[in-house]
Amino acid sequence: MKKHNSFSIEGQKARWGWFFVAPAILFFCLFSLYPMLNALWNTFFNVKLLSLKKPEFVGLKNYAYVLSSPDFWSSVKATVIFTLSSFIPLTVFSLVFGLIITTRKKGHQLLQMLIYSPAVLSSVVAALIWLLLFDPRGIANSLVNFLMRTPGIDHKWLTEPAKLYMATAMIYFWKYIGYFTIIVATGVAKIPTSVLEAATIDGASVRQTIGRIIMPLLRPTTMMVSIVAMLNCMKSFSTQYLFTQRGAPNAPLNVLTLNIYKTAMRDRYISRACVMSFILFFFMMILTIVRMKTSESKE
Amino acid sequence: MKKAVTVFLVTLLAMTMIVAKGQQESATDLSAPVTIVVWTHDDPNRSVLEKELIAEFTKQNPNVTVDYQTYPSGKMAELLTVAFSAGEGPDVFNQSQSVIRQFVVEGQVSALDPAWLGYRSLSDITSRYIEGSLEAVSLDGDIYGMPLEYTNLCCYLNKRLFREAGLDPEKDYPKTWEEMMDISSKLVKYDGEIIVSRGFDFRYATYYLMEMLPMVEQLGGKLVSDDGKTAVIGDEAWLKFFNYMKEWGPNGRNLGGPTYVSVSKVFDLNDGQVAMSESGLYQESRMRSANPSFYESDDWMVIPYPQWKDSDLRVPCHVSCHYYMVNGNVSMAKQIWGWRLVNFMLSHSEEYLKRVNLVQPTHELFESETFKNMPYSDVFKTDLEHATLTYYSANSSAILEKMKQAVEAVMLQNQDPESVLKNFRRQVQSILDEE
Repeated sequence: MKKHNSFSIEGQKARWGWFFVAPAILFFCLFSLYPMLNALWNTFFNVKLLSLKKPEFVGLKNYAYVLSSPDFWSSVKATVIFTLSSFIPLTVFSLVFGLIITTRKKGHQLLQMLIYSPAVLSSVVAALIWLLLFDPRGIANSLVNFLMRTPGIDHKWLTEPAKLYMATAMIYFWKYIGYFTIIVATGVAKIPTSVLEAATIDGASVRQTIGRIIMPLLRPTTMMVSIVAMLNCMKSFSTQYLFTQRGAPNAPLNVLTLNIYKTAMRDRYISRACVMSFILFFFMMILTIVRMKTSESKE
Repeated sequence: MKKAVTVFLVTLLAMTMIVAKGQQESATDLSAPVTIVVWTHDDPNRSVLEKELIAEFTKQNPNVTVDYQTYPSGKMAELLTVAFSAGEGPDVFNQSQSVIRQFVVEGQVSALDPAWLGYRSLSDITSRYIEGSLEAVSLDGDIYGMPLEYTNLCCYLNKRLFREAGLDPEKDYPKTWEEMMDISSKLVKYDGEIIVSRGFDFRYATYYLMEMLPMVEQLGGKLVSDDGKTAVIGDEAWLKFFNYMKEWGPNGRNLGGPTYVSVSKVFDLNDGQVAMSESGLYQESRMRSANPSFYESDDWMVIPYPQWKDSDLRVPCHVSCHYYMVNGNVSMAKQIWGWRLVNFMLSHSEEYLKRVNLVQPTHELFESETFKNMPYSDVFKTDLEHATLTYYSANSSAILEKMKQAVEAVMLQNQDPESVLKNFRRQVQSILDEE
């Protein structure tokens, strides 16, 4: 029976399927799965970069060290604040802009280009541009002082913790809003026009069409956008890195990824960096599952 | 009889070791073609000189080719750490004392055998250098690097800006940290509370241990005890320093800070952005390239690193030393040729000084007319006579980061110096305990 199935059309399709996905699976195993498993293995040893000594097995000592380190918990705090202040506006405004772009007849292409253009810049370039704007003598101070009629006030964008949270979140929003807007716009475009036409014939107002038809049909897209935005925010690195390089205080910007980088590259404690990476991975997985479960329960 | 036998055996052992070392070199085929990969940090002027020296070296040794690669200075430590960890480090590289110490301690670099350079003993090489300059590359009697540049910071001063503020630069220049703050207050210009022109400002970035730790040491404080076991000694000194930095920052007298453009980048422009900037002798070469008319003018001068008013301890700015080192994991032939290349390049110390303003810490150079004729070289030399190397250890980069965070906490986040000191001590002690 099995032999027969392997020669069936489905069997042949499955073999071709495996053939086509094999390079991707191989690539994933080699460049993602193996490093991940290797990193997990390293968490149980005292691996130190540059050391020629054979690493010793230390059990869960690295986990105990990291979890009892105040530096780690301050990084968790910085990551949580940055993630919440970035991913919520990203999710909400990508929906708003996505709807505006798909519903507007005039100027939607220009709007689309304006929103999407920052996404083509590298994160480093984006952060450098904004660093110039947030310089004490930069445009940010001039603009706010002009609008608020407070000439000569230094709003300390790069030094006060609250302003730093706002500044980094603003950069991230500006950089990625276009990307998520396009995903939402694609989701809206996929909604069958017949459904929207039927709603119009039945006399639904714009608000009713959006609230009762588009939003429920967009739920899978919204969920995807919120999960991807949240995961990306938790992995944010370059903005915080460049800000600290430019003299901004470390504490409010020391997100987990920056801490991982410093622990591995500056302090050379690669095992502890692996522990933090796994804790971050664990958090991200849990939050993704929770978000997916929440969305499923609503359905 | 016993004594004679012991002496005979020790002599025999020593001779065996010497012969073995000689055989090791003779067993290495030094005539075979070899390519030496050199990694060094970006410095356009130095690159030109070193490429010329390499061309001369390869002409004298036709079987040797050199692949000379430059990288941004801020990225070098990271690149080297990754490359060496993966067993792919360059054959020759350079870094400052705070970075290279970990390579020495971890056994990643080659110990110099004087015979490779045609010397009888290591002292023939070490005697070329001024006392203390090889400390960071010395371990258990061996030498693991040769100094490329030996830099202390003094204060460059713009006389025109002093005169415009009604000050006489020759008389009113700041000698103490207290005067530095007062004079900077007279020179600084604001648009509201935004600084548009600074009097003096620190270098910040990676200079905390080099330029700020001496301020603490002048007051009797220490980063680490002499036995290397206890962190942050002398609360009074540290608190005075932290209070000074707090006063300097935006929450105090607002005289500058790390978020403003680095003063050393703008001093040469002579456009009124800064009146005083700390830098090394190398800055003269940069000034000559960036703004020749300013360099040739009488509008600038160099003054010594300040002291506290009540400080009896003479502690000038610490010295940063970059060393060329050879990878200890490559073939013996590469190690020998690597050392010969390094020795050849660095034996042209006057060229480095004349063309790039880099000072190598050799007795010969300090006594040379070339050095004496450099503008204000006497100011740098006088400070150097009392200076020591910037703190180095296998974990000095981590300690530097903790000091940076402590200064930022008082200066930018307006935190209480006492709690900052407590936290700083805990962090540094934790690093020391792990060494």
